Amino acid sequence: MRQEGFLIVLLVPALVYFSVYHLVPMAGMVLAFQDFRIVGHSQWVGLKHFKLLFSSPSFLGVLKNTLIISSMKIILFFPLPIAFALMLNELRSVLVRKFVQATAYLPHFLSWVVISGVWISFLSPSTGGANQARGLVGLPPVDYMTSKSAIRWVLFASETWRSLGWDSIIYLAALMRISPSLYESADMDGAGPLQKAVYITIPELAPTMITVLILNLGFFMSAGFDQVFNMMNDSVISVVDILDTYVYRIGLLNMQYSFSTAASLFKGLIGLVLILGTHTAAKKVTGKGLW
Amino acid sequence: MAGLKIKGKPSSTRDRLFRATIALILVAVSAVVLVPLLNLLALSLSDPARVGEVTGLSILPKGFSTVNYRVLAANPLFVRSILNALFITVVGTAINLVVTSMAAFALTRANLPGRRFFMLLVIVIMVLEPGLIPEYLVVKKIGLMNSLWAVILYKTVNVYYLIILMRFFEEVPQSLIEAARVDGAGYGTIFLKIMLPLAKPALATLGLFYGVFHWNEYFRASIYLSDPDKYPLQLILRQFVVLDDTASLIGSGALFSYEEAARLDYGALKASTIIVAMLPVLIVYPLILKYYTKGVMEGGVKE
Repeated sequence: MRQEGFLIVLLVPALVYFSVYHLVPMAGMVLAFQDFRIVGHSQWVGLKHFKLLFSSPSFLGVLKNTLIISSMKIILFFPLPIAFALMLNELRSVLVRKFVQATAYLPHFLSWVVISGVWISFLSPSTGGANQARGLVGLPPVDYMTSKSAIRWVLFASETWRSLGWDSIIYLAALMRISPSLYESADMDGAGPLQKAVYITIPELAPTMITVLILNLGFFMSAGFDQVFNMMNDSVISVVDILDTYVYRIGLLNMQYSFSTAASLFKGLIGLVLILGTHTAAKKVTGKGLW
Repeated sequence: MAGLKIKGKPSSTRDRLFRATIALILVAVSAVVLVPLLNLLALSLSDPARVGEVTGLSILPKGFSTVNYRVLAANPLFVRSILNALFITVVGTAINLVVTSMAAFALTRANLPGRRFFMLLVIVIMVLEPGLIPEYLVVKKIGLMNSLWAVILYKTVNVYYLIILMRFFEEVPQSLIEAARVDGAGYGTIFLKIMLPLAKPALATLGLFYGVFHWNEYFRASIYLSDPDKYPLQLILRQFVVLDDTASLIGSGALFSYEEAARLDYGALKASTIIVAMLPVLIVYPLILKYYTKGVMEGGVKE
């Protein structure tokens, strides 16, 4: 018994943390159904804030931005790490391979503040490398960071810059598990590299692809707060404002605690349904899940 | 990947062309990652008089000068922010490792009372995201506002890392633990003398990830800290580079103690700030490559 008590003691610090930063704030989400008061008890107001939310044009715009940006970063981006892993797999030179891997994984470890700084500098209309490269082929400069038509592509490109290499690791690991004998027999039949990729590699990678896609869909409502928060500015806010940046602005800057919590509860509930749904789907397809 | 190399058949010209194209594309990807970073390094180290010659695609400095870094080092707010970030990173990572490994050990013991309940709790925490405002109000209520501890303790346990460590502990052979039990070892001895030493590679990997997380953190710092003296470097960087607020960093008199100051270039100074903010990550990056990618490649992906 004394021994079991010791195990509980080991668990206590984690439980305290979970309570303070997770459980109590989760319970605090009831704020969405109340009017917040700094002193005294908050008043119950039912679905008032949700009604306001769904009749607010700014919220509907934010929802639309979230869905568009997520689609770009999850669906459009999806084939790129696969292609990257396949290409890396064809490299014969170990040195080149190591160099490419070491450089491509690096941005994953940089903060979005740093990445945003790098991109703002690189995309600068006057001194940035991107526009100087355009100049070399005779194209006029573009102010990407303040252009409504370009900024979502900047988000997509910088996300790719950060994650292309890192997200390819799971596919590289899957490629290693493919039996070499499959390739040897294909070789005997005189198959070229492209045919081997289409008839052996891609079908063998399919379960990994499905798992990655399904699990990423679980985060569809997030769209990447840190990236958008560090790349948005007044010129483009109408096309890049997403749920999380909206919750921050309305809640912490405008101090509309209840209204903002209603927005995050809405996001959390959809997210929960997506995570549970996609997780069940992943379990069905691959036979194993995260829990 | 060496196993995939096919020997014997000489490759045709078409094959060689195919592979050369692929190598070219991959090296181009590397260049796209590296050129913007090297460009900032070049900008930060160039002679202020020649900084205008550095184009957006240059990767080598024009002339050489450390003036930008000396200006930053002379700025008390900047130096303070580095110390704050180091404090948050070191203390935060130590707490992360202690709390996560204790919890992972307890949760993997079959006779932990209420084990099923605690596991359910872990899953609930993994899938349910508390809102920003309720978290903010709790931190405010327990008196951690404007305290570095509010930033340090945020993400004390990353649930995904907890599960990785639990899987690691589960793989320790039961016979090893039984043998220790026969010798009279309690849970404390088993945890400290058997589990932790065996888990060293896993702990090193998680420590690196937790460390990078803390070093890169800026958002919680921005909402919980009001005193600029407590800001970590990433937050100063955000104000200076992302929000273009030059006054807060450069407004002090420190700048004018340098004769070159009049010729200082803001772009170059920003570049230097970005480089300093990346530096610790670059220093531990070889270790990350060694531990993490090796682990993934040899033992399959654990996520």
